[in-house]
Amino acid sequence: MKFKVTESENVSTVFLDGEIDMDVADNVREVVFPLIDSGKEVHLNLKGVQYMDSSGISVIVESNQRAKEKNTKVELKEVSQPVEKVLAMARKFL
Amino acid sequence: MSTEVADTTNLSEKKDFLVRSSSLKDVRSFSREVFEKFKIDENLREELVLAIAEAAQNIVKHAYKDYPDTQDRMAVRISCTDKELEISFFDKGKPVEKSKVKHRAIDDVKPGGLGTFFIQEIMDSIKFKEGDKPWINNLVLTKKL
Repeated sequence: MKFKVTESENVSTVFLDGEIDMDVADNVREVVFPLIDSGKEVHLNLKGVQYMDSSGISVIVESNQRAKEKNTKVELKEVSQPVEKVLAMARKFL
Repeated sequence: MSTEVADTTNLSEKKDFLVRSSSLKDVRSFSREVFEKFKIDENLREELVLAIAEAAQNIVKHAYKDYPDTQDRMAVRISCTDKELEISFFDKGKPVEKSKVKHRAIDDVKPGGLGTFFIQEIMDSIKFKEGDKPWINNLVLTKKL
């Protein structure tokens, strides 16, 4: 799993690359949560994510919840096809 | 990876892995290799890999919840006929309490619950059995092809 973070005036964009599973989910949290806590809008760019399981979905849900608490928001950008399939399955659960 | 039966109508591959989260990528790699070898429909493969990885994750998270540094191994066996795929998991962890195996609401963001939901969505049947010695738990997932 690789990360790259770019900053603009009001938005932090995290480019995630690789596979997101239980083994790396905490690494993603460690990168994303401090950005949310700083109050900036956070974009998660998932173009380079070839695989995501329930642990990755949990990171997204937790990020959204955390952003609401901080009066900001998290958006998903350039969602890859494999991730979109998993998100679609998770939405059935909403 | 061992091939247990290798004719054209009944294929079976089995491999064991150390019980820990860092093994999950190896479980996925094994599954992808087997599905390629068994010529499983490409549209199905990644869904099946997800179901297998979620089941393996549940072993790490639940059966070995209190033993993060265990040296125990879990085994995954993928068997295939022309009509059905059967995926079996074997572990020596805490016995599964079937009544507690259910998914949770999405707002309750523990991944294990959502993982079980994914398994139920992808597979046709889920059965928990007592494992034959030395195994404690034997989870069997099936999918019609």
